[in-house]
Amino acid sequence: MNIELTAQQKALQQEVREYMKTVMTPELLEEIKIPEFKEGGGPEFRKQYARMGADGWIGLSWSKELGGRELSHVEQYIFTDEVVRSGFAYPFLTTESTTPVIAANANAEIREEVVGGVKQGKVVIAIGYSEPNAGTDLASLTTKAERDGDDWIINGQKMWTSLANYADYVWLAARTDPDETKKHKGLTMFLVPTNIEGFSLTPVHTLGVRTNATYYSDVRLPDKYRVGEVNAGWKLITGQLNIERLSLFTHGQVDSLYQGVCEWAAETAAPKGGKVIEQPWVQHNLATVKSGLEVVKLICWKQVWAMDQGPLNMADASVAKVYSSEFFVELYRLLLEVMGQAGTIATDSPGAVLRGKLEFRWRVGPVLTFGGGANEVQRDIIAMAGLWMPRTR
Amino acid sequence: MNFTISEEQQSAQQLAQQILSDFTEVDKLKAMEQQQQSFDADLWQALAKAGLLGLDIAEEQGGTGLGFSSLTTLCEEVGRTVAPVPVIPVLVSAAGTLRRFASDSQKDQWLPGVASGTTVIGAALEEYNNDDPTAPSCSAQKMEGGYAISGTKICVSAATSANRILLSAHTGDELIVALIDPRAAGITLNPQLVSTGETRHELVMAKVQVPTEDIVATGSEALAAMDWAHLATRTALAAMAVGLCDKMMRITGQYTSEREQFGRPIATFQAVSHRVADCYIDVECLRLVTQQAASLIDEGRPAKDAVQIAKIWCGNAAHRVSQAAQHCHGGTGVDRDYPLFRYCQWARQIELTSGSSAQITGELGQAICAEYLPKVG
Repeated sequence: MNIELTAQQKALQQEVREYMKTVMTPELLEEIKIPEFKEGGGPEFRKQYARMGADGWIGLSWSKELGGRELSHVEQYIFTDEVVRSGFAYPFLTTESTTPVIAANANAEIREEVVGGVKQGKVVIAIGYSEPNAGTDLASLTTKAERDGDDWIINGQKMWTSLANYADYVWLAARTDPDETKKHKGLTMFLVPTNIEGFSLTPVHTLGVRTNATYYSDVRLPDKYRVGEVNAGWKLITGQLNIERLSLFTHGQVDSLYQGVCEWAAETAAPKGGKVIEQPWVQHNLATVKSGLEVVKLICWKQVWAMDQGPLNMADASVAKVYSSEFFVELYRLLLEVMGQAGTIATDSPGAVLRGKLEFRWRVGPVLTFGGGANEVQRDIIAMAGLWMPRTR
Repeated sequence: MNFTISEEQQSAQQLAQQILSDFTEVDKLKAMEQQQQSFDADLWQALAKAGLLGLDIAEEQGGTGLGFSSLTTLCEEVGRTVAPVPVIPVLVSAAGTLRRFASDSQKDQWLPGVASGTTVIGAALEEYNNDDPTAPSCSAQKMEGGYAISGTKICVSAATSANRILLSAHTGDELIVALIDPRAAGITLNPQLVSTGETRHELVMAKVQVPTEDIVATGSEALAAMDWAHLATRTALAAMAVGLCDKMMRITGQYTSEREQFGRPIATFQAVSHRVADCYIDVECLRLVTQQAASLIDEGRPAKDAVQIAKIWCGNAAHRVSQAAQHCHGGTGVDRDYPLFRYCQWARQIELTSGSSAQITGELGQAICAEYLPKVG
């Protein structure tokens, strides 16, 4: 057993870290201050995303046939960790989650159009799974696609379609068999170009970021945009969930917040003399964060290492999701407590600490514990798959 | 990066599992609890015979030399079976320290006997309100042919059966590490009943004369030795807690799957099953930080942060898992005819041994402060 990165892996980490500094241009730092562009989509974001494509950084984990470098999961994680740490709104769900599935299941023409476009950093795909009445119980979704000659007619509404305001496609789950007994077996996946007639959206402003409600009103979609077999969509959705989570709970993004607050506390004067970091209660919070963070790092490493050895153990994947999501929320609070009132000052206001990053992070924190599979469902999985306990009801 | 447990380590662990479960049937444990000292000599001999006492003793001294990580897996198995054998004080705190810091003649004198089970070397690292053996309040006075040691150590395991006990004292300007004979003049052993239910001892020393040949290290060597012993002991305790907690969680998973109330197994209530799932998460987290600390110590790499983090998790997880296990069992959990109570007693003992989570969180916080203050200068 050796729980450290190899020299080669450290070199990759350094290489990505240096490269991402060149991606986060002063122009981009200005652009992401505009709420509309915080999650990407502005002209400078588009420019830098395309540059990453031209420089060969997109799709490193893909097969050589698709133009990738077939990186191991460990290497892919190192890349992801550094990109997230940099703060660039890299569309991981597009590059790591949906594109490999599209490459494996779409017809040749669409494959060329979409996979090629993603590789060049020109295409972004939004996820169209959730609906107003289908969240954790996703397979109860009702957006329907009906065959009409060579086309499909799509009607329905999706909720929380993040990035749809600038994405090129929506990766849409729709019901193609209305038989209620075939809940999971009546779903099919489609790629819906966002410039197609009948597609529209309205913004949804959340506590943290902007997302969207998207509407499909008699959208006439040629059959070539169907991905995979009819009624075989469920597998395409669930097959990527573990990969998807790997980009949500990386170590670097929260480690850099911890380091930033440690530095702030070491240089900021405490009210009764000395520095903020010299106060026992501050040290207690920082030490609590550090001992929890270490586990985030080890869980991530063990997961990607295990994925390189074979399929991931179901209970372990759920442990990673529950622990990380709940610890992130706790970490935001522990670090904000250290900053006190200064922790409430938003980005760009005078006195904001760490450019207000933590003030913003706590706003997106609540999403983590229910998004990507609610933690209650994850705990059910742990009890059943890890401890062979009976299903709860 | 490699999380694989080596084949040798796996087979040592399996062997330990087999022997330990043979010797820890409930009747045997109960009989052992009636004895003056909670030390199963037959089990100790069986472990010796299987080569398991010498996992971290060099081949020259009759061990297998597999290393510290392998020894922590033995500690984990002892935790899983709550077997009454002093693996941590004898094999980790004492023998592990001797292997790395004693003279060749001391190693030849004591370690072969430890490996073969004929010699027991205990360790007394803790004092009242002080778990740090690098800063003892016990004092040592240099004298002709050795040192005279005075002071008090507490909760010492195997004190009455040990041939020697490893401990530290200071002369005023330097630290020494010594092996004392518990039968030497000037020593009083006062029985102390502790949470596990076993009798340990308060070791009171009044100018106990220790000959030069039983002095293991002095000065900076002694400091390094006690530093190592402190880190290794904390890590071994965390490993033992992995075994304890994993077993408590599994007993609870099984019990709640069988126990019926309101016409159904109570595990089918989310409120119950989620409590057990939380134990599973705690155990996995504790396992990861413990493996990291053990592998760093094994490789001789700086391990202080990793060990502190492991012991913080050890105390927190031991408390939470033990509490959840008892709660989910209802009255059965506190019944002395049901096996769970032993695990809960051990969990509390380990939590409070070699530094509690709160104390070490404080230590880690001070270290973070010391790291960042000069950085921003």
